[in-house]
Amino acid sequence: MSDAAASVLGVRDYSLAYRTGDGPVQALSRVDFSIARGRTLGLVGESGSGKSSIAWAILRYLPANAVEGGGRILLSGEDLRAKTRQQVADIRGRRIGIVFQDPSTSLNPTLMLGRQIAEVLIRHRGLTEKQAFAEGEALLARTGIARPAEMMRRYPHQASGGEKQRVVIATAFACNPECIVFDEPTTALDIVTARQIQDLFVRLQEDTGVAALYISHDLALVSRIAHDVAVIHRGAIVESGPAARIFGAPREGYTRMLIAAVPHPDRRLVDSHPPDGAQRLLGLEALTVRYGERSLLSRMLGRAQEQVVGARDIGFSVRKGEILGIVGESGSGKSTIARAIAGLNDFSGRLTLGDRSFSGRGALDRAYRRAAQIVFQNPDASLNPRQRVREILSRPLKLYGIARGRAEIDRRVGELLSQVLLPPEFARRYPHQLSGGEKQRVAIARAFAAEPRLVLCDEITSSLDVSVQASIARLLVDLQARTGATCLFITHDLNLVRQLAHTIAVMYRGELVDLFPVGAADAPDRHPYTRTLLDAVPVAVGGAA
Amino acid sequence: MRELARHPTGLVGATLLAIVLVAVLFGPLIAPYDPQQFHPAERLRGPSAEHWLGTDQFGRDILSRILHGARATIMFGLGATFAGVAAGTLIGVAAGVAGRWIDSAIMRLLDGLLAVPDLLFTLLIVTVLGGGTGHAMLAVAVAFTPGMARIARAAVLSVRTREFVQAAQARGESPVYVIGAEVLPNTMGPVIVEATIRVSFAIMLGATLGFLGLGAQPPSTEWGLMIAEARQFMFRNPWCVAAPGVAIAVAALGFNLFGDALRDILDPRGRQR
Amino acid sequence: MNAGYLARRLAAVVLVLLVVSMAVFAITMILPGNAAVMILGEYATEDQLKALAAELGLERPWHVQYLEWLGRLATGDWGMSMRMSQPVTLLIGDAFWRSAALAGAALVTVTVVAVPLGVLAGMRRGRGADLGIGLFAYMGTAIPEFVTATLLLVFLAAPGRQFFPAGGFVPPGEDAARFLYHIVLPALTLSLILTAHIVRQVRSEMSEVLASDYIRAARLKGLSEATVIRRHALRNAMAPAVAVISLDVGYLLGGIIVVEEVFAWPGLGRLMIHALQNRDLPVIQAVTLVLAGVYALSNLVSDIVIAALDPRVRYA
Repeated sequence: MSDAAASVLGVRDYSLAYRTGDGPVQALSRVDFSIARGRTLGLVGESGSGKSSIAWAILRYLPANAVEGGGRILLSGEDLRAKTRQQVADIRGRRIGIVFQDPSTSLNPTLMLGRQIAEVLIRHRGLTEKQAFAEGEALLARTGIARPAEMMRRYPHQASGGEKQRVVIATAFACNPECIVFDEPTTALDIVTARQIQDLFVRLQEDTGVAALYISHDLALVSRIAHDVAVIHRGAIVESGPAARIFGAPREGYTRMLIAAVPHPDRRLVDSHPPDGAQRLLGLEALTVRYGERSLLSRMLGRAQEQVVGARDIGFSVRKGEILGIVGESGSGKSTIARAIAGLNDFSGRLTLGDRSFSGRGALDRAYRRAAQIVFQNPDASLNPRQRVREILSRPLKLYGIARGRAEIDRRVGELLSQVLLPPEFARRYPHQLSGGEKQRVAIARAFAAEPRLVLCDEITSSLDVSVQASIARLLVDLQARTGATCLFITHDLNLVRQLAHTIAVMYRGELVDLFPVGAADAPDRHPYTRTLLDAVPVAVGGAA
Repeated sequence: MRELARHPTGLVGATLLAIVLVAVLFGPLIAPYDPQQFHPAERLRGPSAEHWLGTDQFGRDILSRILHGARATIMFGLGATFAGVAAGTLIGVAAGVAGRWIDSAIMRLLDGLLAVPDLLFTLLIVTVLGGGTGHAMLAVAVAFTPGMARIARAAVLSVRTREFVQAAQARGESPVYVIGAEVLPNTMGPVIVEATIRVSFAIMLGATLGFLGLGAQPPSTEWGLMIAEARQFMFRNPWCVAAPGVAIAVAALGFNLFGDALRDILDPRGRQR
Repeated sequence: MNAGYLARRLAAVVLVLLVVSMAVFAITMILPGNAAVMILGEYATEDQLKALAAELGLERPWHVQYLEWLGRLATGDWGMSMRMSQPVTLLIGDAFWRSAALAGAALVTVTVVAVPLGVLAGMRRGRGADLGIGLFAYMGTAIPEFVTATLLLVFLAAPGRQFFPAGGFVPPGEDAARFLYHIVLPALTLSLILTAHIVRQVRSEMSEVLASDYIRAARLKGLSEATVIRRHALRNAMAPAVAVISLDVGYLLGGIIVVEEVFAWPGLGRLMIHALQNRDLPVIQAVTLVLAGVYALSNLVSDIVIAALDPRVRYA
């Protein structure tokens, strides 16, 4: 680590606890790190690790129930804990900046963007309003905004996610602070935009020499942009050091586990080719999904109101036992397709499963619905909070007549739970008594309970922590191998899909732009958008893990 | 339940409700005097050892009248609210489930009905049907129906789009199952909260109607009616009107605070932070 | 906000009024089965009933009656009061302004007092000022108007301690000072209850705004708390506050009925009570429609104000 004398931001032996209704909860234990000028420290941790608490502690914005323990927080040698409120207010914005995760909520919706940059300049650099606006415009240009003058006059809802985040970053850099804290700044953005913002961050940091604390859960990302890395787990720094050393030769068990859990295209979970000679199971022809109801008025007037097209003219086929990965950004239509196949969205065109063919949602019958099951993204919302696990799992059994009678159903439920590696006692639990990963396992068990031929996985790992993601992915692959079900795996995580899919389909703005076997991902004849996506994804952390 | 203990205003509400409950259940048993009995020698007295809240213009003990009147006042509130909630929830759920143009049509109708203030609506119906407790309760129930329908509909709409409901639809479950087992049990929360708060409004409306002579009729000791009867004498013994007034406030406040606490408890916590 | 938006909102108001008119018509003409019985009472003779029924045209199919009634309303013929033998429009015209004065006084007081109180309570959530204000707000929503009115009378208008008159009305043209003197208690009654409602809502809005991410971001930019409140918080709390105030206009319209009765203030409310007691159908119908119309229009005005305050609505 750098020489303490040159440290811009130093957290020394710092501890923090929260008073809660259930007693004090330790959030940070003797955290210690230092960031020198021009260096980026990537702070990596999963949810609940305390990484956000560090940001609050540094900015001196702790909630009322926070109890600080020992330790110091030093900005260029000055202890922030000893500052008065007024001094802290002077420091915020001028000497320390912060960039949050979600620009939609951290910008005031009723103020012009220009005003929100200008006010920092007026407050800390004493500029007049006119000067501040001019300077603000220059700052926006520096962060890559195409028409800065126009952007200054816009309101947040008139700007895209990427543009808003650039504004927030410009604001953070506005007063040339010594140090900036970045709290997951690209998590809420889509892949391509996230990459652009990451590049912007690197460039600005090099230009200004600011000391940056970059907090993230994304190891792959941090490995690309940070000089030094600290891994935090349950409030304590498990390991820290230069990025190359941490990722190349991790020492601690937790670090190794974390690195191993990150998807890497070279670490395949299944064979690269689906079973030979397999028949086609699923086929889509000219499938189109439209959203939105035409209002009564326009129907009466016979006007063809503009309907939003979620997916247009999609055609592909999937063989039995194959895993097809569908990737794209949000709004690309990948979930729309999954829902149409699951029978939730109406579609036009042709859908074939096995030897049966359907031309619309109304044609899908119970036999089809049993054969095509879906697992959703959000584990908190996909289970009925008022039903126990036993009831949730027994529904498909009863509905499809797979098991009858209390005894047989209970036996089958027990089997399902053990297949997803959950103890049989969980049958009595309610969803709120389960963790995110456990809920997702139940959702998967529910889907496989119907003995389906096709399982649709709609971003099933996206809401989970990294370590849990890996285990869920592995579980899915196991079940799929055992039951021989065909799987459609929808995700925005390109590294993950390259690990577990046989074939990859790329969606962009409702259209299918590319379809290729996983081995051909780097082939030169890929669609330009596929190339863009692949380039935008952080090179995954390698490792002799 | 544990969470209620940590909610200060909720505890206050629960306490007030407990007091009210005691009055409703045991009022006539613990009242020291017959509420209708005249004590002519002690008319319009303030609080004393024999009459803790004083006496009214006929010498009737105010405390006893209030304890007896608890039943009339509170049962009115509960009954009217229950009926209004039942009717409103039925309509609201139907609208939320049916969707499309039926839903739009019902919403427009509800919007129109909601443009008439509660009290006015109630007065209209009571005038047409005639006064008396029964008609007044019906009137309040009808006045509450559009508002409850809206709440129920909103709750249904928010649940309908949740993934577990969609999972059931994707499975091919029958609409009856989807509504009965997946949607309804999860919409009860907001409905119950709103219903609890509305009981306080119903109590106040009932008292207002009693006051205007359109609700409970003598010899009932409904609290609003008590105030109406004592109006002429309020300057000579303010306790005749103050005591029932405070009673109404305590009851309404109890339901109001409790309902608010319920909302805080049932709402998924941690919206932000 | 464009003309299209306004046009649609106006159309909505018209639609609402139509629905209300149908409801009023249904309630007063159809439900009782025979409106003549309702008007004349149970002891009327057959002949009297028949005569009245013929006069009112009650044998005709109800949709015909409804459309004719609607037509008459639209052209300004609101009928004659059955009890007072005067054109309904005349009665309403006078009463309307008197009620408007009362309502106006209450609304002005409330806006000036309640909104700042609510903001203050929201800012000081959980501390002294908030608890005090909160307590007052909660109690205010649990006390019916007639109780407040009565209690105010007891404390401020009792013989011997009469700070204000116990009721009645003096036209402003005649004696402006006495007019004001008479308006104080009824306006105060209304104000107290409305203030309680609005304080409660504004307080909850304000505290929600203060917990939001953009307020946190503003504070972390080093802006003074005063600036954060003034420039960031208030602006975002005002739009919902306006929405709440307009909702309370509905409550105000109900409360006015009771308050005018208790204080003998000759406005629409008192007119309504008398009409209800005397079963004066044309007046009942007319007053209901007027009140509903006022409420619907106030909602429209509040929508416009909200659009002015919130750019998301404006530029959507």
